[in-house]
Amino acid sequence: MSSTAPVLVSIRDLVKRFGPTTAVDGVSLDVAQGEFLTFLGSSGSGKTTTLFIVAGFEDPTGGDVLIDGRSVLSVAPNKRNIGMVFQRYTLFPHLSVFDNVAFPLAVRRRPRHEIEQAVKETLALVRLEEFAARKPGQLSGGQQQRVALARALVYKPRILLMDEPLAALDKKLREEIQIEIRRIHRELGVTILYVTHDQEEALRLSDRIAVFSHGRVVQVGSGADLYERPADAFVAGFIGNSNFLPARVRGVDAERTAVELPNGAVVAGRTDSALASGGEASLMIRPEKLFLVNGRDAPDANYDCRVDVTLRDSTYLGDSLQREVVTPWGQCLMVRQTGDAEALSHAGTGAALTLCWHSGDARVFRKTAGSSAPRS
Amino acid sequence: MRSTLRRGRAWPLRGFGPALPALVFLFVFMVAPLAVLFLRSVTEPTLGLGNYAELLGDATYGRVLFNTFTVATVVTVVTLALGYPVAWLLVILPSRVARWLFAIILLSMWTNLLARTYGWMVLLQRTGVINRTLMDLGLISEPLPLVNNLAGVTIGMTYIMLPFIILPLHATLSAIDPAIMQAASIAGARPRQIFFRVLLPLSLPGIGAGCLMVFVMALGYYVTPALLGGASTTMLAELIAQQVQSLLNWGLGSAAAFILLTVTLILYAIYVRAIGLGRPQ
Ligand SMILES: Nc1ncnc2c1ncn2[C@@H]1O[C@H](COP(=O)(O)OP(=O)(O)O)[C@@H](O)[C@H]1O
Ligand SMILES: [Mg+2]
Repeated sequence: MSSTAPVLVSIRDLVKRFGPTTAVDGVSLDVAQGEFLTFLGSSGSGKTTTLFIVAGFEDPTGGDVLIDGRSVLSVAPNKRNIGMVFQRYTLFPHLSVFDNVAFPLAVRRRPRHEIEQAVKETLALVRLEEFAARKPGQLSGGQQQRVALARALVYKPRILLMDEPLAALDKKLREEIQIEIRRIHRELGVTILYVTHDQEEALRLSDRIAVFSHGRVVQVGSGADLYERPADAFVAGFIGNSNFLPARVRGVDAERTAVELPNGAVVAGRTDSALASGGEASLMIRPEKLFLVNGRDAPDANYDCRVDVTLRDSTYLGDSLQREVVTPWGQCLMVRQTGDAEALSHAGTGAALTLCWHSGDARVFRKTAGSSAPRS
Repeated sequence: MRSTLRRGRAWPLRGFGPALPALVFLFVFMVAPLAVLFLRSVTEPTLGLGNYAELLGDATYGRVLFNTFTVATVVTVVTLALGYPVAWLLVILPSRVARWLFAIILLSMWTNLLARTYGWMVLLQRTGVINRTLMDLGLISEPLPLVNNLAGVTIGMTYIMLPFIILPLHATLSAIDPAIMQAASIAGARPRQIFFRVLLPLSLPGIGAGCLMVFVMALGYYVTPALLGGASTTMLAELIAQQVQSLLNWGLGSAAAFILLTVTLILYAIYVRAIGLGRPQ
C-alpha cells in the first residue's frame, strides 16, 4: 500500500527448528497497516510455520514477532485478536453457518442483538446470507471457505492470516473467491498475510510478495518488482516463465554485463550483483521479450542481441503464439509472440530463424547450485 | 457412493450365500433359544405375565433392579470421567508413547477376568493392601468396607469397563482435525470454551458408543458382582443364575433375562436415533 502507512506486524529474525529440520531460517518482514502481503513459495519452504508463529500456534526457536511494536510471543492465540482462515476446512461441523460465524463473538460474551447484527453483516460481506441455517456439511468447499472467512472477520481483527485457503478449490472458483478477497480487503482495510504456492494468485491479490525458499525470504517486493527485477535466478524462475541460458562473463560495466554464450556469441544483460570476469553465469530472458526474425531479414536495430536458432514447434494460444526454438548448443527456448505473430506464421518446423532481444530485457545471474538450472 | 454400490450391477459380489453359515449359527444359537426362553417366561409355572408382574412388583426383586441400574449408572459415569482424559491423552501424546499406553490398556483387558477380580479382592478386603496402608498411615482407624458391598462392585467394574469406553472415545477423538481446535483458539476461545463448545460436542458419538457399551455390559455383569458384592447387593445377572441354577425357577429367570434384553434394546434404539450408526448425515 502506501509506503507511509505505519508498520503493524514486524517479524524479526525468526527461526524455527523441528529437530534436525530448520523450517524457518531467519525471516524478517515488516507488514504495513492495511497491506496485503503474500508469502509465496513451494511446498515445505516454511510459509505455514511462519504464519503459525504469528498466530501463536508455534513458538519460534529464535527471533520475535511484534504487533504494534509489542512482542506477542507470550500472548496466547485466543488473546492476539487475529483472524485466520486455514488450508483445510475448519468450520465447526456441529454448528450452523450462523453459529459458526457467531462463535468468536459468543466466546467474547457479546450481547445477543449485537451478535446477530454482526453475523448478518459479515455473511452479507461474503454473500452467503441465505445459507445461515445450513450445516457446514451441506456447503460446497468454496462456500465453506467463505464462511470461514466470515468467521475470521466478524470480530473485526486488524490482522487476517490466510494459509492457502483456496488450494483445494478448482481454478474457476478460486478466481471468483480471489476477486471477493480483493474486494473485502479494499472495503475493510484489514491487514492480510496470505500464503500460497500459486504465483498467479500471489500476483493477482498482493500489494507485496515475499518469496520463500528453504525457510528464507529471498526477495520482497511488488509483483512488478519481482517480475521485472528478480533478485536471483530462483525468483526469476518462480515468478512467470523464464529462459535461462548458460553464459560466461566477458566484461562488466556500469550498465551491462557482457557474456559469451556456448556458441561463442557475445550478448549482454543487466545485473545487480558483482560478477567476476570469466565466471560462470546464467542469462535470463522472459519468453515475451524474445523476438524471431527470418534469417535473411535484418533485425530491428533495437535488438542488440541475437542467436541463430531452428524452429521446433509452434502452438497457437489465441492471444499469443508460443514457439519452441532450439539453439546451436541444443537448448530449447520458449518464445511468446503477440503483436507480430502473423509475420512468421508461414515458418514451418525446422526453419532457420534469428532470435533477438534487447540487452536491457535480459538479466545476468551468478550461477548458484541448483537454483539456476535452465528449465527446458 | 455407498448407495450406488448397493444398487444392482455396479456391485457384482451380491447375495448372502457366504454369510449363510453365520446366519444359521445365529438363528440356531441365539434366536431359537431366545424364543424358547420367552415362551418359558410366559408359561411357567402358569400361562400369563405373572413372572413379569412379580419381578416388577415385589420389593426384593425391585431392590435387585435398583442395584443393577444404580451400579450400571455409577460405573458408566465414573468410567466416562476417568476414560475421557485418557482417550484424549492417547490422541495428543507422541505416537511412540501412546503406543505404550495403548499396550498397557489392552493388556489389562486381555488378562483373565477372574484373575483380575480376585486381585481386587486382595486389594480391597478388610485386611487388604489398601486398608492396611491407610491404617499404617494413620488416615483411618477402622478398615473401610470396600468389598461385599456396592462400593466394591463399582470399583471392580469401573476398572474392567475402562477400556471399553477409552477405545471408542479414542477413535472419535483422533478423527477430529486439530486444525478445528486451532480455529476455535484463534477465534478467541479459551481452553475451557474450546472443550465445552467444540471438543465435547464433537466427541458425543464416541461418548454415546462408549457409555452404551459400558452401561449394557454392566447391566448384565455377573462375575464381579458375585465376587465383590454381598448378599444385599445382588444384581440382575446373579438373580437369574440363582433362579435357574439353584431354584430351577426357569420362568422367573427367563422373565428377568427378558427385562434385561428389553432395556438393552431400548437403550440401543435411543442411541441409534440420537447419534446414528456412525454414518455422516
Ligand atoms: N510440526 C512439525 N514437525 C516437524 N517438521 C515440521 C513440522 N511442521 C513443519 N515441518 C517441516 O518444516 C518445513 C516447512 O514446513 P511448512 O512451514 O509447513 O512449509 P510450507 O507451508 O511452505 O509448505 C518442512 O520441511 C516441514 O516438513
Ligand atoms: Mg503450508
